[in-house]
Amino acid sequence: MTEKPKIAMYWCASCGGCEEAVVDLAEKILDVVGLVDIVFWPVAMDFKTEDVEKLPDGSITASLINGGVRVTEHKYMVEMLRRKSKIVIAYGACSSWGGVPALGNLYNTKELISRAYNEVSSLNNPEGASPQPSMDVDGTTLELPPLLPRLLPIDQVIDVDYYIPGCPPTADVTWNALKALLSGELPPKGSVIGASDKALCDQCPLNESKPDKVLIKDLKRPHQVIPDPAKCLLTQGLLCLGPATRGGCEALCVKARMPCTGCFGPLDRVTDYGAKAASFMASIIDLQDPEALEEVVDKLPDPVGTFYRYTLAASSLGGSVRGNKS
Amino acid sequence: MSESFEPKIVVFACNWCTYAALDLAGTSRIKYPPNFLVIKVMCSGRVDPQFVLEAFRNGADGVLVAGCHPGDCHYIEGNYKALRRITLMKRMLEKFGIEKERVRLEWISASEATRFAQIANEMVEQIKALGPLAPRLEVSA
Amino acid sequence: MSEEAKVGVFVCHCGMNIAGTINVKEVVEYARTLPHVANANEYVFMCSAPGQDLIRGGIKKNGINRVVVAACSPSMHEPTFRAAMAEAGLNPYLLEMVNIREHSAWVHSHEKKRATEKTKALIRMGVAKAVLLEPLEEFRIRMQPTSLVLGGGVAGLRASLDLAERGYKVHLIEKLPTIGGRAVRLGTIAHSEISGTDLLKPVLDAVESNPNIVTYVNSELEHVDGSVGYFKAKARRNPRYVNAKCTLCEECIRVCPVEVADEYDYGLSKRKAIYLPFKEAHPHIMAIDPVACNKCGECVKVCEPGAINLEEQPQDIEIVAGGLILATGYSPYDPPIGEFGYGRSDKVLTLFQLERLLDPEGPTNGKLAVSGSVPKNIVFIMCVGSLGITENAHPYCSRMCCASSLKNMIRITQLYPDTTIYALYKDIRTYARRDEKLYELATESKIKFVNFEKTPTVNVGQVGVSVQVRDATLQENLVIPADAVILAVGMAPSEDLSKVRSVVKVGCSPEGFIREAHVKLRPVEAPADGIFLAGAITSPKNVLETSMAGSATAAKASTLFSQEEYRVEPITAQVTEELCSGCAICIAMCPYGAISRKTVGEKYRAEVDRALCKACGACVAACPSGAMQQAGFKDTQVLAQVVAISERRTGS
Repeated sequence: MTEKPKIAMYWCASCGGCEEAVVDLAEKILDVVGLVDIVFWPVAMDFKTEDVEKLPDGSITASLINGGVRVTEHKYMVEMLRRKSKIVIAYGACSSWGGVPALGNLYNTKELISRAYNEVSSLNNPEGASPQPSMDVDGTTLELPPLLPRLLPIDQVIDVDYYIPGCPPTADVTWNALKALLSGELPPKGSVIGASDKALCDQCPLNESKPDKVLIKDLKRPHQVIPDPAKCLLTQGLLCLGPATRGGCEALCVKARMPCTGCFGPLDRVTDYGAKAASFMASIIDLQDPEALEEVVDKLPDPVGTFYRYTLAASSLGGSVRGNKS
Repeated sequence: MSESFEPKIVVFACNWCTYAALDLAGTSRIKYPPNFLVIKVMCSGRVDPQFVLEAFRNGADGVLVAGCHPGDCHYIEGNYKALRRITLMKRMLEKFGIEKERVRLEWISASEATRFAQIANEMVEQIKALGPLAPRLEVSA
Repeated sequence: MSEEAKVGVFVCHCGMNIAGTINVKEVVEYARTLPHVANANEYVFMCSAPGQDLIRGGIKKNGINRVVVAACSPSMHEPTFRAAMAEAGLNPYLLEMVNIREHSAWVHSHEKKRATEKTKALIRMGVAKAVLLEPLEEFRIRMQPTSLVLGGGVAGLRASLDLAERGYKVHLIEKLPTIGGRAVRLGTIAHSEISGTDLLKPVLDAVESNPNIVTYVNSELEHVDGSVGYFKAKARRNPRYVNAKCTLCEECIRVCPVEVADEYDYGLSKRKAIYLPFKEAHPHIMAIDPVACNKCGECVKVCEPGAINLEEQPQDIEIVAGGLILATGYSPYDPPIGEFGYGRSDKVLTLFQLERLLDPEGPTNGKLAVSGSVPKNIVFIMCVGSLGITENAHPYCSRMCCASSLKNMIRITQLYPDTTIYALYKDIRTYARRDEKLYELATESKIKFVNFEKTPTVNVGQVGVSVQVRDATLQENLVIPADAVILAVGMAPSEDLSKVRSVVKVGCSPEGFIREAHVKLRPVEAPADGIFLAGAITSPKNVLETSMAGSATAAKASTLFSQEEYRVEPITAQVTEELCSGCAICIAMCPYGAISRKTVGEKYRAEVDRALCKACGACVAACPSGAMQQAGFKDTQVLAQVVAISERRTGS
């Protein structure tokens, strides 16, 4: 009897959404489970790290890793899974480009800890406790893996074979990718799989409503507009990042009248997603006067958060370059 | 800031105005600091914000994007597009911790060789005072 | 790239110009260490014959397939080196020039070491880009040496004649049943005694008789495909219902039951639904106004030559032209009802209406009859519709109205010496050659000039009309009773412009006129190649300026037509369809209208017309997916230069 391919799934700095996305496969998950041998899946199964460490190198057919590398333990785990796996797949936005947690790269680790443990207004921490790398409790030493200086997408730590985009990847995208994986018909190494090669507008039902020239005179936040469901959201002044974002999700958010926030990440020819998104958005603001332009741009309270929401760790700079001055 | 730090500044020069101004500085033998590496584009409207970020990532301490004056763009309105993009880009660069003196958008016409030299001297002085950017790209805890 | 890049670096001394500052030997040795550099040479004058031989030799004997010339500015010798490469059988666009003279040697002569280091860096960047260059082909279009002229006024007529006289064929399209435009309606031309019609008659005759000009009256441009060199236009000839058999016996006019305001006289007179457009109408036959005509058929009954056919159908006309000249003119500013009493009293007229009244062949045979009698007190309000003097007014000065008004004022003082004239003005701008004389003459006569800062008001009452104005010079309020108020209205953008713009890709200036490529250096061209703009379509102009513009567009069009083939630079934008989502962001980026969105099945894709693309790259920077790239300035190519600012060796 031929052995079923071994699959491992692991989560680094993750919200758990990518784990749920796999569960979202619903009935299809039984097909998957039937076809593969899951050797590691901390959220759902009881295998331990040492079980994986004992496996021969390269014996896992594919590891799907979600979440970004934030603490030293993540680094250890992804390096270990890399050794043990033939194929490593970055599953979801965080492992592919850093995801939302990568926005933490705008601060150094001291600032992050201070904010979480000293500054947040809902805090109740009268002793000013903060995480320590180790602590003795009743004769046992407990350890916490320290934060790395920045959150990294896994491809800045190990060699990655494929990427499955999304925050989280949709069930369809996941299924497409798994099918490709299991059939062995895979594109060149380094490709994004399961999704489209074109930007979201290609799949968006509102694309045809666009006028000849897409130009806006003002920017609006979602709470300021009740969008007309039959007109492209960008033309209504909303910050829809669909044009800059890989398609594959079938425009789920737009169909619910919310502008795309870019969770499927950049297209293949783009080096820095946030810069490209900002470039196209700025380009269509139809104003010549610098002051009028500044006024419109002022309406964006957090351009980095808006344009790099999912991709900051994979951007050209990767995060803040303020240096050690706070 | 050590005295020996010489900033590396990338200039994206539009073919019709700024590049010509740089040529004129040459023919007029106007001296300016050798800190500037010129990349020619046909229009400042070609300058993609990705280029600016990649310049910093690859060791630039400053970036100058220069094109024709508003209303004079050889391609009608390419410079207005550059204005929009760089305006937004500058907001983001501030958040990244890149000081605003490091990125400039200037309108330099084909005859403004002296003006380029002035801007060049100013930029070098200001960025020297800020120090090199490259060491800050290596992130420490 | 299918083959591996083998770069040849050629460093020029330019005599002592470069070599005097830069250590060329050091630079050449450095170049040899760069990835993909197969060889590096130096020579005293690379642009000379032996220098070019070096390049050709490198290509033919050493298999160089990318050339980097480090020398003077590309503006000097880029074509020279491209030609040398082509002679050696290498695509001329596989050249990257690095400027080490103007940008290094000549400006850093006091810092030789640093200049040399900078030169090395520039060459490193040039080589990095050269490795990624791709062969490019010039795009050529067969030139169709025929012009389409839209608009039969002074501008269009002048352009048509000039082109026809050069031997080029012209298709002249005019909306009205006659050519002539608005200038024929001028009562007298300034500094002369003749009317606009008399002035233009020889021009109208010349156009009608010139075998190179085909005129389509009653026609409108409906659709234009294609671009410079080969435009495919569709025009529609609307029915005139009267043909050339018409003998102008006027029996039809006698029996026609419908009477409407005559637009030729700006509403001051009436005409029938069947009418002769004006005294010198070309073609010189009746026309039927399709809107006014009730198809009763009375005219047909009395038409002996049988010239009337009420069943006439519109006709489609197809025209192929290498260039388009747009000369659709202007619309006089039309004050809203009530502005300065306009439309509230028959004593308030516009300057254009005044012209008709003073035309000896006008509706009153040249008699200045306003509300039935010759006015004793006339108040001219200048700058109406201009200089922002009212809420509805345009912000600009309309240029021709001062001279025109003064001309008319002087004429009135000559014809009616007992009439008092007040001229209320925000500014007097008699800028042209003899026009200051008009102002002098006017001030020497009895015309009373009142300067206002605050806009005057017109009171239309039971007893009559009066004008209130604060004299800014005297700082006194005046109330002037008026038997006639003449509003010196200016020129506004033509109301036909939205139709024009729906057919031809031209843009608007902030004032609402059609925008020219450059307001000073290219005033008669649209940004898109092959489209020219003549006359008031771009801004207010007098007859002289309009005539000059007409001739200018003919000259520009001739330059175009004199080339057999129109060559387009190959560094144009191009879209990779497999990556294009049809998001349409690029379309608004192009000032030349070169990009359009086409359907491929149920999807959209961007498409670039290479004939129109001027290679600015604005669309490329905006393209959110990197599907749009500019040949010779692709993201990969420019980024290679950016990465190469660092000494890090990136390998292949």
